[in-house]
Amino acid sequence: MSQVPSPAAGGTSEGRDLELTQLTKEFASFTAVKSLDLVVPQGSFFALLGPSGCGKTTTLRMVAGLEQPTSGTIALGGHDITRTKPYRRPINTVFQNYALFPHLTIFENVAFGLKRRGVKQTHPQVQEILQLTELTEQAAKKPAQLSGGQQQRVALARALINRPEVLLLDEPLGALDLKLRRAMQLELKRIQTEVGLTFVHVTHDQEEAMTMADTIAVMNAGVIEQMGSPAELYDNPRTTFVANFLGQSNLVGGKILGADGDSVVVDMQGTKVSVPRQRAHSTSGAGWVGIRPEKVLVAPQGEEIDAPGNHMRDAVIVDASFIGVSTQYVVKMPWGQEMLAFEQNTGRRGVMAPGTKVDVSWRPEFSFLLDASQDVGAGREDA
Amino acid sequence: MSPEQPARRSAPTRRGVLKGVGAGAFAAASLGVLPLFSTPDRTQNPNTCTTRDLSNVDHSLDVSNWPIYIDQDTKKRQSTMTDFEKRYGINVTYNEDVNDNVEFFGKVVNQLGSCQTTKRDLFVLTDWMAARMIKMGWIQKHDPGSVPNLDKNLLSSLRHVNWDPKREYSAPWQSGFAGIAYNKKLVKQEVRTVDELLTRSDLRGRVTLLAEMPDTMGLVLLSDGKDPSSFSNSDFEQGVEKVKKARDSGQIRAFTGNEYVNDLLAGNVLACFAWSGDVASYSNIEFVVPEEGMMIWSDNMLIPNLAAHKANAEKWINYYYEPAVAAQLAAYVNYVCPVEGAQQAMEKIDKSLVDNPLIFPTPDYLKQTHSFMGMTEPQVRLFEGEFNDVAGA
Amino acid sequence: MAATEVTETPAPVVAPDAGKRRSLTGYVLILPAAVWLGLFFVVPFYSLLANSLFDPNGSVLTGYKVTYHFANFWHALSDYHGPLLRSLWYAGVATAICLVIGYVLAYAIAMKAGRWKNVLLVLVVAPFFTSFLLRTLSWKLILGDNGWVVNTLQAVHVLGSNGRLLATPVAVIAGITYNFLPFMVLPIYASLEKVDGRLIEAAGDLYASPIRAFGKVTLPLSMPGVVGGTLLTFIPAAGDYINAALLGSPNQRMVGNVIQDLFTTTGDYAAAGALSVILMVIILALVVFYVRKSGTEELL
Repeated sequence: MSQVPSPAAGGTSEGRDLELTQLTKEFASFTAVKSLDLVVPQGSFFALLGPSGCGKTTTLRMVAGLEQPTSGTIALGGHDITRTKPYRRPINTVFQNYALFPHLTIFENVAFGLKRRGVKQTHPQVQEILQLTELTEQAAKKPAQLSGGQQQRVALARALINRPEVLLLDEPLGALDLKLRRAMQLELKRIQTEVGLTFVHVTHDQEEAMTMADTIAVMNAGVIEQMGSPAELYDNPRTTFVANFLGQSNLVGGKILGADGDSVVVDMQGTKVSVPRQRAHSTSGAGWVGIRPEKVLVAPQGEEIDAPGNHMRDAVIVDASFIGVSTQYVVKMPWGQEMLAFEQNTGRRGVMAPGTKVDVSWRPEFSFLLDASQDVGAGREDA
Repeated sequence: MSPEQPARRSAPTRRGVLKGVGAGAFAAASLGVLPLFSTPDRTQNPNTCTTRDLSNVDHSLDVSNWPIYIDQDTKKRQSTMTDFEKRYGINVTYNEDVNDNVEFFGKVVNQLGSCQTTKRDLFVLTDWMAARMIKMGWIQKHDPGSVPNLDKNLLSSLRHVNWDPKREYSAPWQSGFAGIAYNKKLVKQEVRTVDELLTRSDLRGRVTLLAEMPDTMGLVLLSDGKDPSSFSNSDFEQGVEKVKKARDSGQIRAFTGNEYVNDLLAGNVLACFAWSGDVASYSNIEFVVPEEGMMIWSDNMLIPNLAAHKANAEKWINYYYEPAVAAQLAAYVNYVCPVEGAQQAMEKIDKSLVDNPLIFPTPDYLKQTHSFMGMTEPQVRLFEGEFNDVAGA
Repeated sequence: MAATEVTETPAPVVAPDAGKRRSLTGYVLILPAAVWLGLFFVVPFYSLLANSLFDPNGSVLTGYKVTYHFANFWHALSDYHGPLLRSLWYAGVATAICLVIGYVLAYAIAMKAGRWKNVLLVLVVAPFFTSFLLRTLSWKLILGDNGWVVNTLQAVHVLGSNGRLLATPVAVIAGITYNFLPFMVLPIYASLEKVDGRLIEAAGDLYASPIRAFGKVTLPLSMPGVVGGTLLTFIPAAGDYINAALLGSPNQRMVGNVIQDLFTTTGDYAAAGALSVILMVIILALVVFYVRKSGTEELL
């Protein structure tokens, strides 16, 4: 009992990171998590992002102690807690379905953790957290009498009140409608900043992860594909999975010709394009040249393109969807591939109708280069 | 916890008053309909509650009797019932559905009490219950001359019972004694008196008495030196008190019907009040005539009102009063045979039984027996009630 | 509870026409249930009530008249308070034992049995496939004076060499416990089955040890089953007479035995009816008290 640091402790002292080493979980028929190594720095908002079945929830449950790892260790601030019982870990969870106790009032739900730890005077703390989560009015109600958003806040308050060293959030916003979800995302971020705890947030929603997290780990099939800040992951994906799962990408096949100074030159369907070296994740053989749709510029044939880079001619618009802030074009390239291009509706030009012959261009420094041995469709939502 | 609205208490609302009045009216109306559930007087007259006898067109007969109370077909010999069916061409439906006089009474009281058919032509009940039913007018007289064997062969000691002095309504099927039985293997010292049975410490908790009130109370009355065929209410109460004392001291384990036999054989019960026929055939069990005497009783064949095959039923009675038939039956059931001449007939069937006093009691043996008095209806209520308060289980 | 929570539900405002039509349909729909209740509850109940108010001097043969003889209740109570209290005592003890065994059993089946769940449930119900009477009779054999149970207990000196189980309160209570156990197990199982395992995980996550999690989450959530089970066990057990008749002695006579004797053997309908009504009132009062106490009024 005594080896485990009190959850109230920790505070501001450095080095209470959550560290997963070689963590593996095998179930009877498959391996959910494969030899995972991960360090979540103290005080960070960390997101585990991935499609369902990628092992992110299993990872979370192992951290919470609800699942025993097959091998590997979990350490918190240097203490090995791999075999510590869940009720002795300074870690709390906001469950996907909230798991509120239906027979207790909101007040009692929130006070549950404090009471179990023998805190006599729960009232002030509960009032405080209810205020923070704007639930003061609901204190005497039962969970069933609350709306989804309110229940979500109760689940959050119930976990937060314990001041855990690590707060785990398992798809906490999944059950909410879009508008509420947006509001709660900002709310969660605000609270995290306010209380300064380590948040580990599991989600399959890349937008949610990018909105809230300092660091995102993209998980796929039990391993972490790539980890970094949202901007890093977005601008410089290392795998087709990340490129497709996090936002959208145009991936065009090409032949890598070799390095040229700070860039790598690729023969992309007859056009020579250069990719900055730090964004080239392959240096020989075949490769995928990747470019985000909003970086692709389109202009009617012959017209000057604003910021010219690699020029490709003889493309045709096949589809145009006007969505207010931008127009999304599907452009058929001369070699037959369809590419996405998003254009800001700055008012400079109207929507180009399908059938319009266009030129296509993008700045080489925005593109990235991936190994062609990877599945081009990995991580696509419609895949 | 939850605060009552004070307004509700101090000033009754109109709705509240209406509710109260309604509930009161409902209660009064409820009490008003209760007399509808009164039970009727069930006395009947066998001369008016009659039906056409179908014996000549429908050659069948419906009999209700106690379990294991008739001989069975064997390879060597066909049973008396099969013989009867063959001889008269009557198809007998034989039901072993009399387990207990009172229970059987419950089965038929509603039909007999309201002049409806019981679908039975003949049933067999013990003296006191037979007396009760005859008194209620539920039982038919035999047709004159229809049962000559009964008139001729009934043991003289059974001919005159006060509830049917001329045996016009009833014919004993078998008679029996109620006395003491004990397990010879487990009880070393013979149990000779009722008082020993009720007090001996080596029997504590391993004694059963009979749930049949006249048998148990008759034996207890005898042990008090009273006459079971004529006793006062206070005699009876004194006897009940004696049983209660034994029960409260833990001496008595249960009051039972026939099932005591299994417990006696298994050793759960060491000694008990028993019926002679039940225990006559077990070598481990000794039947004892208590020093103060024992009880004799008969189970009687009765033809209820509205029996559809009365003539067939009378043929049955007459048949079972043939000495040879009676002897064959007695050889199987081991109870006291009520038929004169059966003892001689037994010579041909089973010589070992001829001199068994439990089947063919000698006049000396019969001297030790007593029968229970015929009770009036209030007496039945009183005695059965008092007995049940100690014996009921 | 906060005073603000006590609210009167206002009567719904409906157009008068619609109200009439709807209420008529309602009456038609409850008709079968009303007829059923009338035939199988109201009529027998009135009959019983009538019995309790019979002239005690009547008899089965000469007939009983309702004379509103309320003294029947007093007489029944003074004559038979012994068996009455004994019944409540035996039923209470048996219910308590059933609750302990039944809860453990139901918990094991609902939470731990995995794929054996259905098999175990069938095993719980299996005794119902034979008759109540036969099952009780077989206990008579098992607990017999020379049976292995008694012999074993004698060998380990729990029972004296002359000790016995049959015809003791132990046998009667054991019989009642055995016979009514499924009525305890099934409702508890049903409510444990409904307890969301994620709530127990959540409790563990919130610093509750498995024992505390059980006490604070599982047990409260299974209370409807516990209350239902205890009622389903206690009520029939208090009126039972088979177990006392087969496994007990006259010293273990329960009120059910008395009522049975009064109705069948003695034919004292007045006393039998009065005693039945008394038993019913006592059980009803206990049930109301118990349900109020356990905070599961919605069951009433």
